[in-house]
Amino acid sequence: MMRSLIVAATMLLSLVGVASAHRLDEYLQATLITVEKDHVQLSMRLIPGVAVASTIITNIDSNSNGRFSPAEQQAYAERVLRDLSLSVDGHRLIPKLLSVTSPQPSDLRDGLGEIHIEFTAVLPPGSANRRITLENHTQFLRAAYLVNALAPTDPDIRILSQTRNEQQSSYQLDYVQSGIAPPQPSHGWLSAVAAGNLFQLGMHHIAEGTDHLLFLLVLLLPAPLLVYGSRWSGVATMRGSLLRILKIVTAFTIGHSITLALAALGFVHVPSRPIEVLIAVSILVSAIHALRPCFPGKEAWIAAFFGLIHGLAFAATLNQLGLARWDRIAGILSFNLGIETMQLVVVAATMPSLILMSRSRAYPALRVTGALFAGLASIGWITERLFNLHTPVNLVLDTLAHHAVWIAAGLFLISLASWLDVNTQNQAASFPASSTT
Amino acid sequence: MKLRPTRFIRTSAALAVVWLSITAATAQTTTTKIVTAANTFLSTLDAKQRQTVLFAYDDEKQRTRWSNLPVKMVPRAGLSIQEMNPTQRTAAMALLRSALSARGYEKVQQILDGDEVLKVGDPASGLAPGGGAPPNLMFGKEIFYFSLLGMPSESAPWMLQFGGHHLALNITIAGAQGILTPTLTAAQPALYNLNGKTVRPLGQESDKGLALFNTLDDSQKKQAIIGSRMADLVLGPGQDGKVIQPEGVKATAMTDRQRAMMLDVVSEWADIILESAAATRMAQLKADINETWFAWSGPTDGVAGKNIAAYYRIQGPHVVIEYAPQPLGGDPTLHVHTMYRDPTNDYGRSPVKK
Repeated sequence: MMRSLIVAATMLLSLVGVASAHRLDEYLQATLITVEKDHVQLSMRLIPGVAVASTIITNIDSNSNGRFSPAEQQAYAERVLRDLSLSVDGHRLIPKLLSVTSPQPSDLRDGLGEIHIEFTAVLPPGSANRRITLENHTQFLRAAYLVNALAPTDPDIRILSQTRNEQQSSYQLDYVQSGIAPPQPSHGWLSAVAAGNLFQLGMHHIAEGTDHLLFLLVLLLPAPLLVYGSRWSGVATMRGSLLRILKIVTAFTIGHSITLALAALGFVHVPSRPIEVLIAVSILVSAIHALRPCFPGKEAWIAAFFGLIHGLAFAATLNQLGLARWDRIAGILSFNLGIETMQLVVVAATMPSLILMSRSRAYPALRVTGALFAGLASIGWITERLFNLHTPVNLVLDTLAHHAVWIAAGLFLISLASWLDVNTQNQAASFPASSTT
Repeated sequence: MKLRPTRFIRTSAALAVVWLSITAATAQTTTTKIVTAANTFLSTLDAKQRQTVLFAYDDEKQRTRWSNLPVKMVPRAGLSIQEMNPTQRTAAMALLRSALSARGYEKVQQILDGDEVLKVGDPASGLAPGGGAPPNLMFGKEIFYFSLLGMPSESAPWMLQFGGHHLALNITIAGAQGILTPTLTAAQPALYNLNGKTVRPLGQESDKGLALFNTLDDSQKKQAIIGSRMADLVLGPGQDGKVIQPEGVKATAMTDRQRAMMLDVVSEWADIILESAAATRMAQLKADINETWFAWSGPTDGVAGKNIAAYYRIQGPHVVIEYAPQPLGGDPTLHVHTMYRDPTNDYGRSPVKK
């Protein structure tokens, strides 16, 4: 059966180094994306070539015992996820690891094994036209990517396009989702409000729209203070502080309610890009004001003015839901109530701390830090939204927002401590005086 | 010379008998022929070999064990050619030949020969033995494995698998149907000289794909081109049961001629299996043609007769074909992976009702 084999000449120019029966010096990362109505699932296969396998093994096997423990695999998967940024319609999503399976180092070393990572992220309700983006920021130089969407099994989801850069490290999936927020004319608009879909959407929107919250919080930062000359100095009375907070929040609400209603009802139409930029600018303005008073006593007007702009952004979320007229008015009401509720929750969670702390000497530090942070964030956003550049601002803020409850709790404890500290000092100072009388 | 009536009748009768037996033999279904060839092959094996080559029909591990990688890296199960004596080899190759078309069998032979070239090297071109890897028994045309899932049958479904480095034929025989998906054909070197002839095992796949691409006008090209590097097959080994979102230019945006050309590209894979099964398959893919997409990634300046360096994909409701040159440290035109799938019916999991 063995035929004699005569290998003749003339072809194959330079074949030196074709050893490659398998991947050599690349780290292949192949991702498949499954889009569902309420979540997106990603399945990654990581295949290190023989020449890079040892680096990957060192990365995973953190205790260098030659075996990958479940904890080490988990830690590596988390690290891979940290290198990714996944977002929907510009909002950063927080992926949740579902599973990781890895072959042991010996298999990986031969350029054989595949590491499998499955993860998912909740998709907040959104408009009919959606865009999911996946960016891989891994520092690994020899990474090769393949990113593909699986054909949706849900007939309501229709993929329009997949766009990738040359290396496929940046991927964009555009799709249309029908059957969102089903208009239910038979139920009437009251039940639509009661159904709470849009109410929740409103709450979500502001809870995850860190830029809206940051604007409000930074504007409230100097609310408990008085102006002396061109500086923040002295503390307003408790009543005065509360009144000012109330005024600012109400003004912001009035402002964004007006434009939200106008835009959602179709009276005003503004492209979203300039709006997003202006929102970032509004944060910068309030951050500067928190450093040095620029419009003391006029915060409410500023809040109302920028509220008008933020309202246009809220309306963009409501757009294209395909709501009928009555449903639409009910929807705006419901959505806005959702926003107000969440906004009040945030104000209620932070303002007591600010008022308490404003009576301590630590407050200027907090105010300046907060203002600088917000200023940097707003500059990041402006850069991103104007020039389409990637900055870490969303990552940082989403991480912070993710731990918002703990941060608020921590802030409250600190403010309580500083307030008690101030009070004891005050008592100590007043004691000799009272003894002499 | 006068023809006597009795002689004429006798001659006619004899001819009729010959003709009838030929007809009967042809009428013997192709499935019967494959089953006969499989049983003949099994009869040449000893008990231990038979145990090695036979698997249960529901053995999912064996069904999906195939790979593009060398057998030394991903061990295959079954009986390899090098473990067979000459009689067994003849019977094994006859079985393979009975399940494939003439062109399909030739293609498989060329892939095997190519792996032999990779093993012994090609001094004239500077291809070192083992492709430059340390000399070992990683490659060669004898380390390809046969396996049967289920006993050969004319009615109950069973499978014939044949594969090794750069080859995985998964043939499901279910009554009169023959299903070739999923099948991986690949080649390295994808161009070599043997017996004074230049061989390109997957040359037609390259030329026909390129020819179709070259007929596209600017607007069709714009739709067809995926502007990013395709490092590998998307639906290679281990990616069973996945349906990716189709991309590229849809056949509805093509001319009749382009649609016919696309079917002709597809036939390079569909026609690997024996002719009757291939005809059924091609009829199905032809019926699907308007729902079929063509996508391209990579150099657009290929030349007929030389392997392209570009990736292409043809996807329809019942087919995904990928042609993926592998730039693994060498010339991508000399190392090609291709994949042929039916996302609805890989391994004949949902045999099409007639």
